[in-house]
Amino acid sequence: MDALRVWRASSHFIGFASRATCAAATSRANVSVRSRCCSSSSAASAAAAAELPSTTVAPANPGRRGRNSSSTSDRESIRAIRLKKVEELRSKGHEPYAYKWTRSHTACQLQDIYSQLANGEECKEDLVSIAGRIVARRAFGKLAFLTLRDDSGTIQLYCEKEILEDQFEQLKTFVDIGDIVGANGSIKKTEKGELSVCVKNFEILTKSLLPLPDKYHGLTDVDKRYRQRYVDMIANHEVADVFRIRAKIVSEIRKTMESLGFIEVETPVLQGAAGGAEARPFVTYHNSLGRNLYLRIATELHLKRMLVGGLEKVFEIGRIFRNEGISTRHNPEFTTIEMYEAYSDYQSMMNMAEEIVTQCALVVHGKLDIDYQGVQISLQRPWRRETMHNLVKEATGIDFDEFKNNLEAAKRVARGILGSRSENNDSHLVETCPSVGHVLNEIFETIVEPTLVQPTFVLDYPIEISPLAKPHRRQKGLTERFELYICGREIANAFSELTDPVDQRSRFEEQIKQHNDKRATLVSNSKYVEGEKEFDDYSYEVSLDEDFLTSLEYGMPPASGMGLGIDRLVMLLTNSASIRDVIAFPVLKIQH
Amino acid sequence: MADGIEEAANSVSNLSVTDTPAAEAPSKNALKKELKKKKKEEENRLKEEEKKKKSQKPSSADDEDMDPTQYYENRLKVLASVKVAGGNPYPHKFQVSMTITEYIEKYRVLNEGDHLKDVEVNIAGRIMNKRTSSSKLFFYDLYGGGLKVQVMADARESDMDEIEFAKYHSGVKRGDIVGICGYPGKSKRGELSIFPKRFTVLSPCLHMMPRQKAGPGIENASVKKNEGKVASDVWVPGMTRNPETYILKDQETRYRQRYLDLMLNHEVRQIFKTRAKIINYIRDFLNKLDFLEVETPMMNMIAGGAAAKPFVTHHNELNMKLFMRIAPELYLKELVVGGLDRVYEIGKQFRNEGIDLTHNPEFTTCEFYMAFADYNDLMALTEEMLSGMVKSLTGGYKIKYHANGVDKDPIEIDFTPPFRRIDMIEGLETMANLSIPKDISSEAANKYLLDACVKFDVKCPPPQTTTRLLDKLVGHFLEETCVNPTFIINHPEIMSPLAKWHRSKPGLTERFELFINKHEVCNAYTELNDPVVQRQRFAEQLKDRQSGDDEAMALDETFCTALEYGLPPTGGWGLGVDRLAMLFTDSQNIKEVLLFPAMKPQDEPLTKG
Repeated sequence: MDALRVWRASSHFIGFASRATCAAATSRANVSVRSRCCSSSSAASAAAAAELPSTTVAPANPGRRGRNSSSTSDRESIRAIRLKKVEELRSKGHEPYAYKWTRSHTACQLQDIYSQLANGEECKEDLVSIAGRIVARRAFGKLAFLTLRDDSGTIQLYCEKEILEDQFEQLKTFVDIGDIVGANGSIKKTEKGELSVCVKNFEILTKSLLPLPDKYHGLTDVDKRYRQRYVDMIANHEVADVFRIRAKIVSEIRKTMESLGFIEVETPVLQGAAGGAEARPFVTYHNSLGRNLYLRIATELHLKRMLVGGLEKVFEIGRIFRNEGISTRHNPEFTTIEMYEAYSDYQSMMNMAEEIVTQCALVVHGKLDIDYQGVQISLQRPWRRETMHNLVKEATGIDFDEFKNNLEAAKRVARGILGSRSENNDSHLVETCPSVGHVLNEIFETIVEPTLVQPTFVLDYPIEISPLAKPHRRQKGLTERFELYICGREIANAFSELTDPVDQRSRFEEQIKQHNDKRATLVSNSKYVEGEKEFDDYSYEVSLDEDFLTSLEYGMPPASGMGLGIDRLVMLLTNSASIRDVIAFPVLKIQH
Repeated sequence: MADGIEEAANSVSNLSVTDTPAAEAPSKNALKKELKKKKKEEENRLKEEEKKKKSQKPSSADDEDMDPTQYYENRLKVLASVKVAGGNPYPHKFQVSMTITEYIEKYRVLNEGDHLKDVEVNIAGRIMNKRTSSSKLFFYDLYGGGLKVQVMADARESDMDEIEFAKYHSGVKRGDIVGICGYPGKSKRGELSIFPKRFTVLSPCLHMMPRQKAGPGIENASVKKNEGKVASDVWVPGMTRNPETYILKDQETRYRQRYLDLMLNHEVRQIFKTRAKIINYIRDFLNKLDFLEVETPMMNMIAGGAAAKPFVTHHNELNMKLFMRIAPELYLKELVVGGLDRVYEIGKQFRNEGIDLTHNPEFTTCEFYMAFADYNDLMALTEEMLSGMVKSLTGGYKIKYHANGVDKDPIEIDFTPPFRRIDMIEGLETMANLSIPKDISSEAANKYLLDACVKFDVKCPPPQTTTRLLDKLVGHFLEETCVNPTFIINHPEIMSPLAKWHRSKPGLTERFELFINKHEVCNAYTELNDPVVQRQRFAEQLKDRQSGDDEAMALDETFCTALEYGLPPTGGWGLGVDRLAMLFTDSQNIKEVLLFPAMKPQDEPLTKG
C-alpha cells in the first residue's frame, strides 16, 4: 500500500480520482486508457503532482468528511494538479479561461445534417466549429477520441497527431474530462459509425478544476443532487430535460392564455397583509418603511382588484411563498398561475382547466394517455365531475347532508370512519373542527383524496371552508367551487368568485374567528408547547384586508377564477416523483 | 353660455335632432371629423344638461351631491332590503355574447338611425355616466375594455312595464356593473348604442364614484380634452402622457386604489398593456435565440449576485434564516455550468432600500446568460433587442419623454442603432481633464479621486472607497450626457467583482452599462469564470465591507465550487424592466408602471383639509 502511495505521488497518471481499477491498466503508458476523471500521462504534469506530495498522501481535510476523507483528498489533489495546469497554460501564453468561441453548429445539428454519412466517409471541405464539455476521453499514442457534450447532445472529437501536430501533445497533457473545449475541423464518420469532428484546431475554453462524478456510480447521493444541481445536470443529462419541459409547459400555458385574450400582470410579492389563502406567511421587515411585510401566499386578492378596475381577463404566473414544512409535494416557494375572467363561472373554469392541462400534455407527450410513476393516466376529455358530498358518500356510505348542523353527530361518525380506515389513527383530526363542513373536508382529504387517480373535478365545497367562493346558486350551505385532482394530488382550485362585499366581510370575520379559536384552544391545551408543529401552524396573525373589501364595494363583475399549481403539473407531465425534481434549486434542510 | 339655445333639444335628448345630410357619401376622414365634432358637441351638451340638472333640482333622484358616507349607507340599505325580499343583488352569471370591443368593431359601420331589431346581443360593463331623460327614457355610458357604448333604455323596448321600468332604472347608479340584452343601433346623431330589452345590475357600486369636480372653466376644459382623447386619439407607447389632466388625479388614490385609476383614467390600462408587451417582446426575442426560461429561488441562504441590502425572513419549521434574492445571477450561472448554454429568467428582485421615483422594494428584471459569447456580442444583442422593441411598440425608433417634468417640453430619445459607446476611465479623464493613476486600486488613486471630487464639488458621503468615488464622478460627468441610449464600458475591476478582467486593458473588466435618459437600464459583462480570481475578488469585497461599505458583495461558496467545475466563456446580461416601461410610457415615477407600488402605511397622520 505504501508503495502505491509513493507511486501515486510521483505520477498523476491515474489522476488520483480514478478508482483502483484503472491503476493497473494505466501504468503502461501506451495502452489505451479509458477513464472518466483522470488526466493523461505527461512529464510536465507528473512533475506538477510531485510537488504536492502532502496533499496526495494524506487526507486534505482530515475529519471534515469522516470516512470519505480519502475521496476528499482525491478531489483536493486533482484540484491542485489542474491549478498547476492553469498556471502552465498561462505561462505558455494560453488563457485557460477564454473570452469567446464562435460556434457554427450544435452537436445535435451536426448529427442531423450528417446522419446519412456512410461509415468511414469524410466531408473534408465542410469546416465546422463546436464547443462543449468533454465528458469522456480515450487517448492512444497518435490518436485520441474525446466526447464533447453541449446543450443539444454529444459528438465525438477525432484527434490525430498527424493533423494536430504539436497541439496533439498539448491536448493529451492539458485536456481533462470536465473541461470545456472549442474545436474546429471537418466531419467524418468513423469506421465504427460514430459521427466525429476531425479536429484541426482546438482551444481549452474553460479549465475545470474538479472531477465529474462517475457516470455509473454517479450522483446517488440524493441530497447532493439537489444541492449541486449543476453537477447532477452534467452527470445525468436527462435532469436538464425536466427543466426544458418545464419551460415548454409554462410557455404553452402562456400561449393558451394569450390566445384567449388574457393579459398578464404582476402583483406584489411583499404585502402589508397576506391574504387569499389560509397558510402561514413569511414575515420580513422593510427598513425604510419601518414595518413588517408578508410574502404573498396567493395572488388572488390583487388580481380580483384588476377585475374591479375593468381588466376583464387577467392572469399572473408567479412565485407564491408559504412558511410550511418541506416534502415531496411542498417547497416553501412554488409557482402558480392564477387567472380571473369576468362574466364567467366555475363551470367555464372547468373547461379551462381541461384545456390547459391537455394542451400541455399534448405539447410534452403528443398524446393524452400518460404514465405517472407506473400508473396510467387518461387525460381524455371530459373529466369526471362529482360533488364532494357524493364522493364521500361513495367511499364511506355516509351522507353528510343528513347531519345538517349537528356537529357532534358528524364528529362521532367521522371518528369511527377515520379510526377504522387509516393505519395511523387520524381520528384526532376531527376534534378541532369547528363545523360539519370541516369534518366533511377531513374525511374527504383522508379517505377520498388518495383514490382520485384519474382526473376528477370535485365540486361544491362547504361554505365554511371556502371563504372566497360564491354561495351555490341552488344548494344552501355549499359554494360554487371545484378542485381538480390527478394522481391523488390537488392540481387546481377554482370558484365562481364571491362578489358581495357584505358577505365577503362576514366570511373573513368568520375565518379570523376560526383561526383565533383554534389558536386559543391550542394555547390553552397544555399538550401543546410553543415550537410544536400544530401550535406553530396557527401561531401567526390573520388580518382583514380592508382595501380588498373596499374594492369589492366598488363592484366586481360576476367572475370566476382559478389557481393552478405549475410545479405539480410539471411533476405529472415529466413523471417526477418529487417536487424537488422539477424545481432547479429546492429548499433543503441546513447541512450538518 | 348656450343654455337657452340647447335646452329644448336637451329635454328630449339627442334622439330628436336630425341634421345629417344622408344623401351624400362623404369621405372617410370627413366622416370621422364630422363624427368627432358631433360627439364633442353632444358631450358639451350633455355636460351642460347635467350641470343644469344639478343646479336646478338639487334634490332630484340623482344623489351625486350626497355626502359620500350617507350615499354608501343608503346603498347598503337598499342592498339589504333586496336580500330580505329574497333577491340576489349579485347574480351568479351573465352570459356575454360579445365584448364591448367586439360590439363596436362589428356595429360601428351602421348608418345613422339604423336599428337592428332582429339581432339580440348580450354585453356587459360598467356604467360611467347616467342621464335621465324621463321616467321612460334613460341614457347610460357603458364601458368595457377601455371603450364606450351608449345604452338607450327605453320603456317601450323593455320587458318591464312602465312603472317597474321607472323604479328599476331610478335605482341604477353610476359605477354599477350591468348586463344588457338588447339590439344594436345608431342614434340619428350617429352614436352607436344598444337598446335593451332586459337590463340587469350584476354588481352594484356602493360608493360614489369619484368624478371630476365641477369647478372653474379651465378644469372643465381639461376634462373635455381628456374625454375627447379617450374617444379619438388613443395613447400609444412612445407618446407623451400627462396624468395632471386625468379625471382622477390624486396620486395617493391612484396608486393605492389602482382599480379606480384603471376605471376612470382610460390611458392607465394602456400603460400596463405596454408593460406586458415589453415583457412579451423580450421573451420572444430570447426564445427565438434558443434561450430557455427558468426559475431560480427567490429565497436564498446568501443574498448574492449584486451589492444591495436584502430582506431577511425566517423559515419556522426548518428554523432557517433566509434572504430574499437581490439578483438571480449566481444561480443562473450555475445552470450554465450544468450545461444549459442559454438561460434567462424574468422575475422579481427585492432590495431593502428606500422608496423614491425610481426605486420600489420589489422590481422586475430580465437576466440572461449566453455561453461562448462575450460583452461585444451582448452589446450588439442589446442594440438589436431595444431598437427592435421600440420599433414594434411605436413604429419608429424615436420616443417622446418628459425628462424635465410634465410642465416642460418633452425630449426625444432616439433608439436608432448603433448606440454610442464611452470608455469609462478614458471618458472620465477626457471630460473632467483628469489623469487617474493607472493602478486604480492603489491608495494614490483613492487620494486622487477624492481630490477630484472636492475640486468639482461632487458629493460622496462616506465610506469614500475608490469604487464609490468613481461611481459619483462617472455619474456627474458621463451619465449626465447619456440621453440617447449609450454604453459606458470597461469598468475597473474593483467596481465589478463578477466581471472578467479585460483581455487587453489591465485593471479593467469587460463590462458595459447601458444608460438611457441618464438612468442605468442594462448591466452586462463577460462573466468571470476563473474560480481562483473569483475568490480573490470576493476577498477584496470583504475588505470593502469591513471598511464600512455594507453594499459590498458576500462570498458564495456554493457558487465558487460551481465555477471549479467549469463555467464556459459566457456573456451575462441584466435589464431593469420597470425602467424600460417608464421610458416607453412617459412615466417619471416608477409607481406609474407598477400596479401596486409599495406605499407608506396609511395610518400615518393625514393632513386634514
